Amino acid sequence: MVYPSNHRQIVEELMGGKFILSNESHFNALKENEAFYTEFFKISFDLDLNLKTEYAFLLSKDTQENFSRDVSIFIAILCYELDRDGRNFMEALDFNEFTFEEVDRYFDNSSFIDLIESNKSLREPDARRTLINGMQRRNIVSKNFDDRFAFTQAHKVFVDFAKELALKRMAVETE
Amino acid sequence: MIKAEPRTILNFLHANFDVVKDLFSYQIADGLITKEVYDMLIQKHGHTMNIRLREYRVIRTLGSDYEMRDVYFKLMEFLLFEFKPLLPETIEKYKTSISELFLKIRKYENQDRDILQERIKNLSHQVREFVDLVERNTFRLLAETRELKSNIDRVEYREKVHKASFWIEYYILPLNRILDVKHSESVTSTVLDVSEYANRRRLDFQDETIRTEFEKLYSQLIQTNTDLLRQSKVLVNELLPLLERIRTESLILTGWIEFLRNPYKMDTPPLLKGTRTMVYAKDMLYKVREFFEQFSVNDYVTLEDGVVDFDKWIFDRELFKGNLTKSLPVNDFFSWCYKELQKDFQDIETDKFFALCGLLFDGDLQIEFPKKAERVTLTTTTSTISLPKIKIEQALKIK
Repeated sequence: MVYPSNHRQIVEELMGGKFILSNESHFNALKENEAFYTEFFKISFDLDLNLKTEYAFLLSKDTQENFSRDVSIFIAILCYELDRDGRNFMEALDFNEFTFEEVDRYFDNSSFIDLIESNKSLREPDARRTLINGMQRRNIVSKNFDDRFAFTQAHKVFVDFAKELALKRMAVETE
Repeated sequence: MIKAEPRTILNFLHANFDVVKDLFSYQIADGLITKEVYDMLIQKHGHTMNIRLREYRVIRTLGSDYEMRDVYFKLMEFLLFEFKPLLPETIEKYKTSISELFLKIRKYENQDRDILQERIKNLSHQVREFVDLVERNTFRLLAETRELKSNIDRVEYREKVHKASFWIEYYILPLNRILDVKHSESVTSTVLDVSEYANRRRLDFQDETIRTEFEKLYSQLIQTNTDLLRQSKVLVNELLPLLERIRTESLILTGWIEFLRNPYKMDTPPLLKGTRTMVYAKDMLYKVREFFEQFSVNDYVTLEDGVVDFDKWIFDRELFKGNLTKSLPVNDFFSWCYKELQKDFQDIETDKFFALCGLLFDGDLQIEFPKKAERVTLTTTTSTISLPKIKIEQALKIK
């Protein structure tokens, strides 16, 4: 049997909880063999592959995963504070670079301070750096310099999650 | 019939602009001017104001309430640039009126000249009104959208989503359909048809007066097409994306705020838990486990003291002191020490020798130094020592 090119890299990265982005060379191999990989991950590990036009990742069965929750809270507070600051947060997430200093300023002055204080991944500047490094390992952010980072297309998973949540809640209210 | 001169009416408006403006504001807010509001204004400005407002036909009664007459209302709208966005259905009626007139112009172009001329003029008027309404509507929608974006009124995100969706659905998209030249049913496409027809007829119509009318209509329609295209561009390129963005942004923020209310009770995106890559060894976990497992064995272990090859000589002061006392008097103390050690050891070590020499300092011995410099030489394992001959006697006990 002939495996697709970059097979090992694709499997290792996805099984490591990493996003594969459309600008990475092995994304094409994954996309071209979508049917194979969907079946491969399902039969081998009972995992569902989520392949979008801009990114791909494996869905976990554990919805109580802390990392995903911490990242969701991090992005939620950042979006809220950027908007409060009069900035276009969608554009900022898509194209801007953030410095750690800037993020610290937003978090230290946030009205969600109680929530921040209660979360050990967000409480301290160093803990936030650790979380951002974790996000880098998963390809949710990229770091060109030590003190700054930018979001990759993978952040859209979380933005879509917020959209769906709002639509669900609004639908309930309409009923 | 108004008896007053037009200039007098304009002077009245000029002098009492604030009163008319107040009436206009009340009319915009409530759709009419209530009796209470009107009476309050009259009480403030005097009874003459009531007479003038009625005489110049600024207001008219509506049951017990009042309303501003349309011509003044439109004038104030224009002067204050405060247009209420019209539903596109209201604007769409111009398609019918323009099409009807256009049809009749074509059908009866060779009949009565005067009615043809009137129809062309009416068509021109309808087109002018249509463009005017579109421009006002676009302007108002743009102002409202920008206001929503800046959010001075602190509208909630959820309300913003509703407002943006409402404008897109009921105003922008229908208005865009009216203006879409590619759509055969749009008003713009009808205006374009009229323009093509007028272009031909301004050149080949027999009657010169009508040719001139067509010429005027054609010039107006060229300008109209340019204006409508500009309005369409504003709608498609600016208004629609801006509203879409407001809607999406507000939707996302609504979701985030909902999530942040209780983030620990909601299911977040199910990401696969990654395994951390160890820089030292991939099987570190197993090695550490193995290492610790060896301590979890609970068998008893007995340790026995082994025979230690230990040759440490300890100076027994009491023993040697006794030996010395028995040997007294001793003429050469150091030689005695040397011989004493030779009884136990073949080779005499220096530290053993010196340890034994320490008996010299016991207070109950009487030490006598030689008068001549007589010395004795002794050899240990590490040194050759030259020592004086010291005589030791039992110390005298004083009773």
